[in-house]
Amino acid sequence: MKYYILYILLTGVTPMCHAQENDSTFYLNDVVVTGTRTPKLLKDTPIQTRLITAADIEKVDATNVVDLMQQELPGVEFSYAMNQQLHLNFSGFGGQSILFLVDGERLAGETLDDVDFTRLNMANIERIEIVKGASSALYGSNAGGGVINLITKEGTKPWTLNANWHFAPRNTRQEYLWNTKGKKFRNMLNISNNNNDSYHLKNASNPATQVVSTVYGDSCWSIKDQLTYTPTDRLKIIGRLGYFEHEVTRTIDAPDLYRDFSSGLRMLWNLSKQDNLDLAYTFDQYDKSVHYGITDKSFRQYSNSQNTVRGVYSHNFRGGDILTVGADYLYDYLMNKNLEGETCDQNVYDAFAQYDWLVNPKWEVVGAMRYDHFSEGKNSRFTPKLSARYQPKENLNLRFGYGMGFRAPSLKERYYNFDMAGIWIVNGNPNLKAEVSHNFNVSADYTKGNYNITASAYYNDVENKLTTGIPHYAQAESKQLYLDYINLDNYSVYGGDVTIQARWDNGFSARLAYAYTNERIPHDKDGNNINNQYIPARHHSLTARADWDKQFTRRYGLRLSINGRFLSSVKNEAYVNYYDITKGVNTVRYPAYTLWKLSVVQRFGTAFKLTLAADNLLNYRPKYYYFNSPMTEGFTFMSTFSLDVERLFKQRK
Amino acid sequence: MTKWLHILYMLGAILSLSACKDVFNNLYDDEHQEVVLKEGQLYIDASSWTDWHYINFNTTTDNVVKVGIPVEPLISEDTESSENSDNSESSDNSEDTHPSGIYTYWYDVFGEGLDNHKFHSFTPTAPQPDPENWHIAVHRNNVRTNGGEVLETSYWMMEQLPESSEAFKDSTFTADVWNELDVWVVKEQMLQGYIGNQGIKVNPVLSSWLKVEIPPMPPLFTRNSHIFIVHFPDDTYAALQLENYMNNKGIKCCLTINYKYPY
Repeated sequence: MKYYILYILLTGVTPMCHAQENDSTFYLNDVVVTGTRTPKLLKDTPIQTRLITAADIEKVDATNVVDLMQQELPGVEFSYAMNQQLHLNFSGFGGQSILFLVDGERLAGETLDDVDFTRLNMANIERIEIVKGASSALYGSNAGGGVINLITKEGTKPWTLNANWHFAPRNTRQEYLWNTKGKKFRNMLNISNNNNDSYHLKNASNPATQVVSTVYGDSCWSIKDQLTYTPTDRLKIIGRLGYFEHEVTRTIDAPDLYRDFSSGLRMLWNLSKQDNLDLAYTFDQYDKSVHYGITDKSFRQYSNSQNTVRGVYSHNFRGGDILTVGADYLYDYLMNKNLEGETCDQNVYDAFAQYDWLVNPKWEVVGAMRYDHFSEGKNSRFTPKLSARYQPKENLNLRFGYGMGFRAPSLKERYYNFDMAGIWIVNGNPNLKAEVSHNFNVSADYTKGNYNITASAYYNDVENKLTTGIPHYAQAESKQLYLDYINLDNYSVYGGDVTIQARWDNGFSARLAYAYTNERIPHDKDGNNINNQYIPARHHSLTARADWDKQFTRRYGLRLSINGRFLSSVKNEAYVNYYDITKGVNTVRYPAYTLWKLSVVQRFGTAFKLTLAADNLLNYRPKYYYFNSPMTEGFTFMSTFSLDVERLFKQRK
Repeated sequence: MTKWLHILYMLGAILSLSACKDVFNNLYDDEHQEVVLKEGQLYIDASSWTDWHYINFNTTTDNVVKVGIPVEPLISEDTESSENSDNSESSDNSEDTHPSGIYTYWYDVFGEGLDNHKFHSFTPTAPQPDPENWHIAVHRNNVRTNGGEVLETSYWMMEQLPESSEAFKDSTFTADVWNELDVWVVKEQMLQGYIGNQGIKVNPVLSSWLKVEIPPMPPLFTRNSHIFIVHFPDDTYAALQLENYMNNKGIKCCLTINYKYPY
């Protein structure tokens, strides 16, 4: 089996092509890499991993990663933060504590605290691997709540050219994916463009807190190219380049412009049948600027560049055990007009080791530990992780584990000095400690015939959460409010989820997933309520999907999909008076809602595909568009046309 | 050939990595560059909430006088807040009948917006101290005239204007009017929706060269690029246009004004 996995890793041939029929229904024979940093079959990985495949992405008809995650994963909610920057809450952890990777690499920059989700376009995604729970023992800082790894496509055919055009009342999207493959080289070029119009939303009178009345339009371009060179069947070298540009018109004469340039070089070397070496260098720069249309000048406010060098070596022992050791070096440079001195940088070094012990066919235990050192503040952190998988029957897996996660204070949190429109000055704090989480988890998955059920539960104890604290005056007579970054008191996040999937031979398939999350709102070290910057997780959430697929003739096929989500109401606390916190806090209730989408995919021949979708079937319109409300104006109709050009030629032949 | 192209590509990728820190530097302008003014242009940093800037078009240099807005109470006590009174639509336009001071209003900034507002309190202050000779005064997006009246034209280029102001003689000009809703001077309770406004006469037509709207939040600034004609009591005219309302750092209410005086 391990040679099968190695073959997949080196050839890049998609795992689905090799999946055995009885397990392919639920992708159990697909290879995942995120949980252990070594390739494992989904059914065998000791770390519970949720897999979203390209087929799932197509079924959901998601326009972007935000849509996809909300529709596929219960416990996920994206809401607005200041300036309509998107903030993620995933099972009680904010976007700052969920590590997003693209092909295993971190993303530079941030919008407010989260990564820029618009960078994550869906056009070239092969699969998304989601590992919940602390994973800092393998991935370091920011992996306290989990890791989401987007794996991009590698072409396997001599050439393919796919084009997608999407039209909705306020959105247009076009995507092009061109793959060429020679004997030793293959190349994948992806170009995409997405445009959203600005629109106004009508709120009722007397909202309980801030509402959104105008959704800013935007325009986004992304170009990525990945070249793979395979000089021998034991060596693979991957070079990639990417450019991203995102314009948001918050001020008519001065749109915000976000740019990113990324490049990387990676070498996967199969030293012997037992030994593998993975060397990588990555550069990623993310800029924020404003373009002044009146004077035609552009000024940059923010730039974050990250250089990462990594080496990972793994040795497969004859009994099936795997030893993995690795080290990273990260040079992190930040330019921010709101930093004292405008620039700062730091070096981050780490080393990690993991031993995957296949005790016997029923038991597998994985232990990992990592040491990180941050030059700024001379912070060091040791993080362990221990996971086990027990397989009493072939179709039943039980997993449990403990992992530590941490998030080192960012350069912004240490040195920021930002006058927020005269309301208050957000102040960095050089004395911040790292946020640490202890994660305990247990899960089970069971497959029988056409059915699969997965259930999991987790408990997190979070220490020193990093956030902004209570607004205060520097002196009693001062009129200027300050908002300092602080470490909060310990708090807990716990919950669980259940997913039931079924697939029948008559073309029907269905998935129902429910998540319960309890995110306790933390206090400061003195036990005071704080103004929770972000809305906490909703207790109950549910996602559902049902599909029916039938190929009527050789030239015509049809798929009907209905998917939806339900989110329960949630409460948050906001100060009655920001200028006099002795007046206490108000509890603001954000209402529950449900959204459903119906899509019809028609396949004409093998090259054409037309998707017609009706979104928000129940015509839900929030009374108030709070920051966590869906920014919908009601029922929407949309269409997507997809063309696989290479199949046209094959059809003619 | 293809092989060499691929190798070149790889080398390109590696070379691009050597940039290491900043690959976009050449795309941006230097914000520390001073604003370069053309003939017939004025630049005023009117971003302060507590200053009026007085402009005299007769003087060619140092023609902007900064005068602080009196915000300290004359009497230590505020008048009682009144939930139901709203003085903003008083038909009396005389400054004499309106005491000088800070008129604090609550605005529904997070809901329906500025149109939904309620008078909260009044704090009497000293009257605005005006300099001797001035034509117009600016404070953020507010403009006053020294007894003048204003007409908005449909012209948007100075070169397009008729040769003299004679062309506008028969048009209807608008004088300054009393206002206690738009001249925002106290922002300390802004997050709660309370803004202290200076009660003062402003010119609604000329002030429309920079419109501030809530919603959305943060506020939307919209420039009106039309040319405005100001008729002063001494029967002279000025043609004014707001060229820009931001400086290189993106700070709003830093005004670049095109002017022609006398016109």
